[in-house]
Amino acid sequence: MVDLIVIGAGLSGMMAAYTAAKAGLNVRVVAKGLGSIHWSAGTIDVLGYLPEAYEGSVKRPFEAMQSFPDTRPEHPYALMGEESVSQALATFVALSKEIGVPYGGANNPGDNLLLPSPAGAARPTYLAPQAQLAGDLSRTEPMVIVGFKGMRDFFPELIAENLNKLGYKARAAFLDVKLISDQRDRNTVQLAHGLDQKEKRIALASALKKIVQPGERIGLPAILGMSHHLTLLAELEEATNSPVFEIPTLPPSVPGVRLFTALREHIRGMGVRVEAGVEVINSQATTANGSPGKVEWIESETSARPWKQKAPKFLLATGGILGGGFDSNIEGRVWEKIFDLPLTVPQKRTEWFEAGFLSQNGHPVFNGGVTVNKDFQPIDSAGKPLFTNLWATGNVLAQYDPIQERSLEGTAVATGIAAGMALSQ
Amino acid sequence: MHKLETEVLVIGGGATGTGVAWDAALRGFKVILVERRDLTHGTSGRFHGLLHSGGRYAVKDPHGASECIAENQILRHTHTHCIEDTSGFFVVLPEDEGEFPDKFKAGCDAVGIPCAEISVAEALRREPLLNPRTSRVFEVPDGSADGFLTAHATSQAARNAGAQILTYHEVVDLMVAGDEGERNVTGAHVRNVVTGEDTEIHADMVVNAAGAWTGKVAAMAGIEVTIMPSKGTMIAMNHRLVNTVINRCKMPSDGDIIVPSHTVCIIGTTSVNVPEPEPLRIEPWEVRLMMEEGDKMVPGFAQARVLRAWAGVRPLFQDNYDSGKGRDVTRKLALLDHKEREGVAGFLTITGGKWTTFRLMAEATVDNICQQLGTERACTTATTQVPGVEQGHYWVGHRLHDIEEKKLQGDIVCECELVTRTMIENAAKRNPLLTLDDLRRDVRLGKGPCQGGFCTYRAASILHEMDKAGTWQADMSDEAGSTAAWDVAYLQSPAHNLASDASPLSVSPQREEKTLDAFNPNLLLRDFLQERWKGVTPILWGRQLKQERLDELIYMSLMNVDHLPDKELSSPVTDFYNFDTTPNEKEEEVGNG
Amino acid sequence: MHTKSWHSVGPSLDECIKCNVCTTYCPVAAVTDKFAGPKYSGPQAQRFREIDQVQTPDHSVDYCSGCRVCNEVCPSGVKIAELNARARAHIMAEEGIPLRNKMLGRNETLGKLGSIVPPLANFGLHNPISRIVAEKVMGIAKDAPLPKWSTSGTFGSWMKKTASQRLKSDKKVVYYHGCATMYYEPFIGKAAVAVFEHNGFEVLVPPQNCCGLPLLSNGEFDEAEKYHQNNINKLLVYAQAGLAIVGTSTSCTLTLKEEAPELLDMDGEDSNALKMATWDIFEWLRELHESGDLKTDFVNMQMVLPYHAPCQYRAHRVGKPALELLTIIPGIDARESHARCCGIAGTYGYKKEKYQIAMDVGQELFDFVHEQEGDVTMTACDSETCRWQLEHGTDLPSRHPIEILAAAYGLYDLENRKLASE
Repeated sequence: MVDLIVIGAGLSGMMAAYTAAKAGLNVRVVAKGLGSIHWSAGTIDVLGYLPEAYEGSVKRPFEAMQSFPDTRPEHPYALMGEESVSQALATFVALSKEIGVPYGGANNPGDNLLLPSPAGAARPTYLAPQAQLAGDLSRTEPMVIVGFKGMRDFFPELIAENLNKLGYKARAAFLDVKLISDQRDRNTVQLAHGLDQKEKRIALASALKKIVQPGERIGLPAILGMSHHLTLLAELEEATNSPVFEIPTLPPSVPGVRLFTALREHIRGMGVRVEAGVEVINSQATTANGSPGKVEWIESETSARPWKQKAPKFLLATGGILGGGFDSNIEGRVWEKIFDLPLTVPQKRTEWFEAGFLSQNGHPVFNGGVTVNKDFQPIDSAGKPLFTNLWATGNVLAQYDPIQERSLEGTAVATGIAAGMALSQ
Repeated sequence: MHKLETEVLVIGGGATGTGVAWDAALRGFKVILVERRDLTHGTSGRFHGLLHSGGRYAVKDPHGASECIAENQILRHTHTHCIEDTSGFFVVLPEDEGEFPDKFKAGCDAVGIPCAEISVAEALRREPLLNPRTSRVFEVPDGSADGFLTAHATSQAARNAGAQILTYHEVVDLMVAGDEGERNVTGAHVRNVVTGEDTEIHADMVVNAAGAWTGKVAAMAGIEVTIMPSKGTMIAMNHRLVNTVINRCKMPSDGDIIVPSHTVCIIGTTSVNVPEPEPLRIEPWEVRLMMEEGDKMVPGFAQARVLRAWAGVRPLFQDNYDSGKGRDVTRKLALLDHKEREGVAGFLTITGGKWTTFRLMAEATVDNICQQLGTERACTTATTQVPGVEQGHYWVGHRLHDIEEKKLQGDIVCECELVTRTMIENAAKRNPLLTLDDLRRDVRLGKGPCQGGFCTYRAASILHEMDKAGTWQADMSDEAGSTAAWDVAYLQSPAHNLASDASPLSVSPQREEKTLDAFNPNLLLRDFLQERWKGVTPILWGRQLKQERLDELIYMSLMNVDHLPDKELSSPVTDFYNFDTTPNEKEEEVGNG
Repeated sequence: MHTKSWHSVGPSLDECIKCNVCTTYCPVAAVTDKFAGPKYSGPQAQRFREIDQVQTPDHSVDYCSGCRVCNEVCPSGVKIAELNARARAHIMAEEGIPLRNKMLGRNETLGKLGSIVPPLANFGLHNPISRIVAEKVMGIAKDAPLPKWSTSGTFGSWMKKTASQRLKSDKKVVYYHGCATMYYEPFIGKAAVAVFEHNGFEVLVPPQNCCGLPLLSNGEFDEAEKYHQNNINKLLVYAQAGLAIVGTSTSCTLTLKEEAPELLDMDGEDSNALKMATWDIFEWLRELHESGDLKTDFVNMQMVLPYHAPCQYRAHRVGKPALELLTIIPGIDARESHARCCGIAGTYGYKKEKYQIAMDVGQELFDFVHEQEGDVTMTACDSETCRWQLEHGTDLPSRHPIEILAAAYGLYDLENRKLASE
């Protein structure tokens, strides 16, 4: 019988499931659908910007978070301490190698990387998939950014021009998308699948050979294969005698799909069941006066009777507003949909937003969430766990804006592993 | 200083202004039109999109109603493709019963508005989401009008007849000659908003068609024209909950019309006196009211996804009228002959009215011009079709149909609204455009559920690619010689934009000398994102809030747009994106019922 | 057009945040240009359609197979497959339903007709000339795996013949067999009866008719409504008596639970009562197991068993109960296929213009089966059309998990598909 039900198949839910399964628990992951990993750059952003120093990016995230226990004590990194965060990320790196999508970081350990974004900005991130690493902007080789005429999600001219304005050397070049695809309509995932085929890889390699100049490195959109992507990368580097790197694109994110697929396959191999299409709509808990309650079961909607699922432990990783774990209405109410956990989100719409979309302070509505203790159990205003057997991780958590500060994947990985460990004891 | 000579100078590029330019040009006058931003920047770009049958005014304002039905029928012929033949229902809900429905029918009959009572069952068959408690339904020939396409098609017709249309040219002063009692407006001093270059335009007749800014323009000639801006807020829902215009059959009030418009439906509106045409604040009570009223006509409306909110101002002319009641001021058109009124010749103001009657307003204006200039030239706009009418009435499925038939799926840039890359390229080449917002008006970029989440980046990048390749040169000077411009009649149709074959506009000399910052792609991107944000914050909750968070992930986490270079740049044409539009949070209704 | 069924799924188009996860996983869009993807054809295209439109604006939605991978992966709860289904139905309503679709829609009638003289019917249908003619004239792909009529009698006739041998008990269950079991594969029903009885249940097989799914899939809503109402009339009394109505065909049980009520807008008390009483057999067995009442006196099966969960399980949304129970049978090394779709998707893969797409979609599954190491002698899947497609694509026999379970109880001959007692 199942020991733990994880609700939500995002990065934090998957890392929690992995951690618990490694500790020997029988885990089932249920999710309404698949989430934000499919939209992201595929990198692990740990901490990119601090509002108080917004112009420049964070150079060394673990040093930056050292002050968090004083300055932002409720931030997930403060709850864990930077030592644990660092260990969690090291666990992720090791796992990534094991599952065939190896991730790496800057040459100087502890530094953030700066990688080119699809608009040509410099994105701070901590870990990137191997396929993106040669884009490290601290390297000196000039870049040729190669796009495909007929592909709508990647624009080399813009990327090159902006990189140049930022002080990096780059130029743009084009190939025809027909070189790598026979289909009329091509999104990034379809293009990537196409490049798993050998003849397309050969065509691409020889075309690139003609474009690249000695001493350059080649930037391509992140479509270099799905199941054979590392092989393709190696082939291209060999054929062109140049470093090759991917730049992430608009969703769907091929690097995200690669990571998710590999993770899911791996934890399935560990005996974890991952069921998508299961929307949890209800829960039942016993309550006790003054003492923490206990979650008895969750219920998911089906084509007929709701499916009641019992387990001794539950983990909420439903992703907040972005992931669909929270809902909101015209009255200004924001609520957590399954356990109705108290949220720190302002309950008045006029307090939700800043005037500027790209506000450096972020919008208050996205900052709020579920307050937890150091073991990632949701707590009440007195600091006591609301339930003995419920944990919460990732974007549902309060007191940080993972998009504004660029910590979405870092907090997901760290809190997922931390909660997984805490609940396995 | 640059100088231009003309006979008629029209100030204002909305429905009225473009209508005047068209009418005057058809009558053989030399015409220049100046507009401070893009066409329909003002009220004509922010109205409800309703082609009135006149039913709404049948009881309260029979004269206005009869004008509406006459113009309704004319516009269906002259601007066929700008209109969707949705038909309209006036529905009687239980709380609307009483004498009014019969008065309504009688009123329609009296002024010649085709009005047929249909069975509730038939109404529900055609509109399944209509309130089943509806007790009576009357059908009238309301339609849905595309204000942007209309202004474009009308200006193209004007240009085809020799007019010059100068967008992004703001009137900074009127040129007035003569002394007290015998003064004479001789033209206007305009400034190219982007380059800062000034031009003197000498004209025999200056027409002030500046909508909500009419008063400010008149003041430049020392004339007082009191415009009472009456704000109306509208809300667009994510999809067409109804395909027919739905009106409440009762005395006109707030939130009592739902208009299907392209892929959305729009509920409106309110009527709140405001001091200035800009900035306009959308109050929470307005939003709540719209949702409640919508829910009465279409149960479930309040739970449907809300896409966007905006406000426009009705430029109500106060002719020494001071009661403070916005709605009761007549919507009648007001043609002010300033020679007669204030002894200032060469200057006319045309204001008031409603969108449906723009052609009539233009006719009255140009008739007066003829009279003042001493020539007799008949108006032909009622029977002259503008370019593009052969496409037939608008049909919501047409873009999808085009894409399916011509297999253009791979060319789609704005997926929500099915805008292809070729449409964007042609819009950039054929119509002077500067911002992505201009593109939005031209081809509906960013108007769908994701509110620009995906297409903003693509469009900005496409324009940038074109810029690098030298195939896009936005040219607002519109001097004679730019021949391929303004073929805007087919901009909205994927099937008519298979090849990016329009030759580019002539190169503007200014463009060659310096890179205009206004074309900077990073600026375009940031500005459009802000413009989209402005329109959603009043209605952001539930699914649209989730959508915005995804858009944030894309533009911040993934693209890092907030750390792109050129942060210090700003554009004079997008200053209004950064106006403070924080609601005043008044709890009670300020407008009248 | 059945506009009233809009309420149940139409509003879900508002949930779409355009994230493209659905298109990422759609197995049909991955193999053909003719289908532009679920997002494009579902929530996106829907904004361009309307009632009383002069013509339908898009046809590519017809290439949606209805496999529902999109629904499963959508994080926002858009009922994409259902939106597509309604759009397809609307096209039929506007343009008329091809004869082929009408034929494929009348499973029960075809079943009955062929059962009169099954060998003749089999010969008539399954010879190459007939198949070529059927393809040319009616558009039924000549290579698609059509079933054979049972030559040993229908399931119904077997129940009648063996009435005296059937278990009587206070614990009763109603068995909904469906057309495939009745006319083509009565052995599935026999295996189910054996399992029910082994666990102490008396099996009732009251009068029942085709669930109407093929009619629904092909847009014949008025006919389908009659079928569903008839089933309600026949089965309601059992539902009201608290009996479970259990089926071995995942498509039939889904139709009774959700597809029929939702597409036909039948959400009255009676339809709901039937819905709430309907169970897929492994969903029911899992419940039995969770309350400790499932007999576990299994023999050691010693087999490597690739298992493919049919698309309909995505729509049932109850997890994969068959897989869960297969894993408790000793000796069964159940290997879950994570392939998205076998390709047949109901009647989709039978259509000439879709046959190759279906085979391309299913390739993922066929490859999976071939890649399994060990002595693989058969595959397992709960849906009959999937089994036929699996056999067609892998050249390995395919069995319903209920047959495996019956064999694990020692009651069933898996290879020859007969009860041990026969």
